Amino acid sequence: MSTDFKPRVPRQFIGGYRPRIDGVEKAHGRAPYADDEISERNYPGLLHARVLRCPYPRARIKHLDTTKAAALPGVKAILTYQDPEVVRLRPTNAGWTDAVDTVSYDKMMWTKFRDRRVLGDYGTWAGDELGVVVAAESEMIAEQALRLLEVQWEPLPFVLDPLDAMKPGAPVLHPQIAEHNVLPPDPVGGPDVFLSKGDVEQGFAAADVVIEMDTSHHNPTQGSLDPWCCVADWEEGRLTVFSNSYAADQTRMHVSQMLEMPIHKVRVISKYVGGQFGRGDTGDQPFFIFTALLAKKAGRPVKFKHTRRDSFHDTRQGALYHCKVGATADGKITALHFKSIGDIGAHADHSVFALKFAPAEVSDAALAPIPNIKMESYAVYTDRIPGCMMRGVGNSQFNFIFGRMIDGLAERLGMDPIELALKNFGHAWGVCPDKSLTAVLETGAARIGWAEKRHKPGQGPLYEGAIKRGVGFSMHPGWHAEWQEERRGQVQAKITLHPDGTVTLDAPTVETGTGSNTCNVLGCAEALGFLGVRPEDIRWVSTVDTDNGMRDCVQTDSAVSFLQSEVLVVAAQQLKQKLLDLAAPVLGVPADQLTVTGGQIHAPGRSLSVKELLWKGDLVPLSVMVSRRPSGTKTGVPYIASFAEVEVDTGTGRTQVLKLVIINDCGTVMYASGAESQQIGGQVMAMGEALTEELIYDPVRGVPLNFNFIDYKMPTILDMPAIDPVLLEVWRGAGEYGACGIGEGTLTCSPRAIANAVYNAIGARVDELPLTPEKVLRALGKI
Amino acid sequence: MSVTMRINGEQREFEIGRDLLPTTTLSAFLREQVGCTGLKISCDEGACGACTILMDGKAVLSCMLLAVEADGHDLLTIEGLPEDDPVIEAFAEQCEPGHGTALQCGYCTPGFVMTVRALLNENPSPTLDEVKEALSGNLCRCGCYAGIVKAVGHAAEKTVARGGRS
Repeated sequence: MSTDFKPRVPRQFIGGYRPRIDGVEKAHGRAPYADDEISERNYPGLLHARVLRCPYPRARIKHLDTTKAAALPGVKAILTYQDPEVVRLRPTNAGWTDAVDTVSYDKMMWTKFRDRRVLGDYGTWAGDELGVVVAAESEMIAEQALRLLEVQWEPLPFVLDPLDAMKPGAPVLHPQIAEHNVLPPDPVGGPDVFLSKGDVEQGFAAADVVIEMDTSHHNPTQGSLDPWCCVADWEEGRLTVFSNSYAADQTRMHVSQMLEMPIHKVRVISKYVGGQFGRGDTGDQPFFIFTALLAKKAGRPVKFKHTRRDSFHDTRQGALYHCKVGATADGKITALHFKSIGDIGAHADHSVFALKFAPAEVSDAALAPIPNIKMESYAVYTDRIPGCMMRGVGNSQFNFIFGRMIDGLAERLGMDPIELALKNFGHAWGVCPDKSLTAVLETGAARIGWAEKRHKPGQGPLYEGAIKRGVGFSMHPGWHAEWQEERRGQVQAKITLHPDGTVTLDAPTVETGTGSNTCNVLGCAEALGFLGVRPEDIRWVSTVDTDNGMRDCVQTDSAVSFLQSEVLVVAAQQLKQKLLDLAAPVLGVPADQLTVTGGQIHAPGRSLSVKELLWKGDLVPLSVMVSRRPSGTKTGVPYIASFAEVEVDTGTGRTQVLKLVIINDCGTVMYASGAESQQIGGQVMAMGEALTEELIYDPVRGVPLNFNFIDYKMPTILDMPAIDPVLLEVWRGAGEYGACGIGEGTLTCSPRAIANAVYNAIGARVDELPLTPEKVLRALGKI
Repeated sequence: MSVTMRINGEQREFEIGRDLLPTTTLSAFLREQVGCTGLKISCDEGACGACTILMDGKAVLSCMLLAVEADGHDLLTIEGLPEDDPVIEAFAEQCEPGHGTALQCGYCTPGFVMTVRALLNENPSPTLDEVKEALSGNLCRCGCYAGIVKAVGHAAEKTVARGGRS
């Protein structure tokens, strides 16, 4: 069942159901992706690069001989860790920023965690790019050349489990950074106990009920269908990098800083990207640097592309959470203590963001009414694929314990978990019960049939002899209100009005599928309502090119959907003024006595069409470029929730999700079809994360076993349940629209909602993702 | 030695050794040699469906065939579909409330379109189960399956409305 969304404020273009602006070119297969464009046709003399990968979970290159590889016909250049231009590179991190801002080497977010060497001689996970990169006439020749390398490896002791890695005597991955594999405190994440509010011990003492629990979230991967791909092309000492990075300006900064080149000599271009999902975060991947150096050495453009195997490149951080909660008998939480141990894999990258920064944000929002809170976290290196950014960074892991705590505490208190949530959570700038949370939970409850279907854990009816059903939910505060985006700095957009009344919109952002391009066009048409411009009169510039002088607004926090539209409101006002200034002498009336509506400029007693005015003049387009910092006004946060109904076969342990209801308070829905697509689409990742996706390692050899799309099980059309997307407008942010980003959070609550529903069905807890049949049967005491 | 194949209605001849190697996959050959970049190489091992094309009217995974195996066959890539193909139109237009769009990033879309094209050629009015079964080899990581199901329905309706012309 689904009910069309009805906007709070009806607008002409914003908020509606309509096709995407890029629907036609994408449906025809004509949208240009990096891999399509980087070809011999566009880059004559193009070479193809393959990089050596560490075959062991940990190893050092003791000796290298490239003679045979270099002699292979078709090999054009080989760059190694011994080359001076590689040796002189500074150590780095693949998470300079969470992509909201552009930062230099000195300002990167994790200055204490620069554990990556570009093309180094030391590998800390099986798959680490290191040592040697070859450019050849074809990928096949480059691959063949790698096999001809004579590499003498020194395999080293390794550790795959974070708890083992913390033990004294465990082999240390990056001794210069983390003496005992645990990342030290840093300026962004803070100390181990990164949040301490009130006095939790006192809070527990004052409680009538205290319970403790543990959860384990694994490390699924983004699974973008479009593997990383780039070309480096040098001309007259100037470097052009075209790639499927979603952060052009930051990629340019990264390349310029690492290669110590002036910014104007680096040009970065991105077009369409086939799915991002936080992958590798910004453009700070070391492969940009070695591809650029290799192209320089070869004197020809070089393409570097990941195979599917290579594209298992980073993940969500696995996290073991422990929670202790105390509450009074009437359901007021008196104290909360969360402790996490994060499996960050082989490189620190953005892990502390996930483990400390994101939960700390939740404490400002949902947990603000709780008087006593302690949060601590230990980010632990292991010799596994690194964790970096993935859709819903940190929040997914946190929600898996947070929603468990709500469900478990409510059961212990004999309360409905919805009532418990409304009683305890809100945000720092509001009162309980929070309006947004109330609307989200009440809507979800109604849509899933909470009152009828919820029963005591495991005590529902039995179907077909062995099947039990249950419902569950989880909720989370949103983290993409405008004030939460203030760190982005200036967001830029440019409107050009042509003499025939059509418009070019340059709102630079790399289109990764989120639909923000459609939001931008709708926002532009809405703002230019006085011109009578329709969306089809607007040309959206899809290529992001740093040579145009504007900074792209990165598709992170799914906030581009409204940030650029807020800028366009200002730009449209300025354009209007320019138009009136232009019309004033023509009409012989001062500009302040003119108005413009529906494409007509009105003077007392007469009017002139905008097109007529422009066509009379010098035919120079009118352009306005506006930079605007997101408003920092603290407007609180909107809420999100997922409700799930599941069926568990107690004979086989198989969980089948029957229905998911996804509720997002959006503030303002910018584009209903796009927002619903994000809600529905996010459930593919949520279902995979909850039930089927899992990276599997051979514990003896320390190598991954399923870095492919056959054994890493992403949901297909047959695996997906009915999904009911619900868009609400209850909370309101700052600005013209008062919207927020929703895309990331659509999958944050679903794994926990499913796990709670499983508990409701069978009366036994499975708190370790993914919820495989084996774990369910074990919980049922059947194996 | 040469191979001949019909690509999007045009008979073409290619020289082994010059235009393709015996080891070249059909997907790589079509993209790099023929310029049919609509199909995507995403998994390159038959697991995702992004490289789906039609060979003699049947949907095939072009990454699982060698280019030489297409010798004597009739190939249709997304570039060969008409501008107003009802499947393409339906994928582009889907915005029926409650189901989302039929595409987001668009990377898997050409593969889905070709699979649906093959399905509707054989079965102009498939049931929901038949649609799901036919599309179960195509992965959409953006998760537009609900919108895709709607688009298939609309494509079938459009085809019927146009007198069965596809």
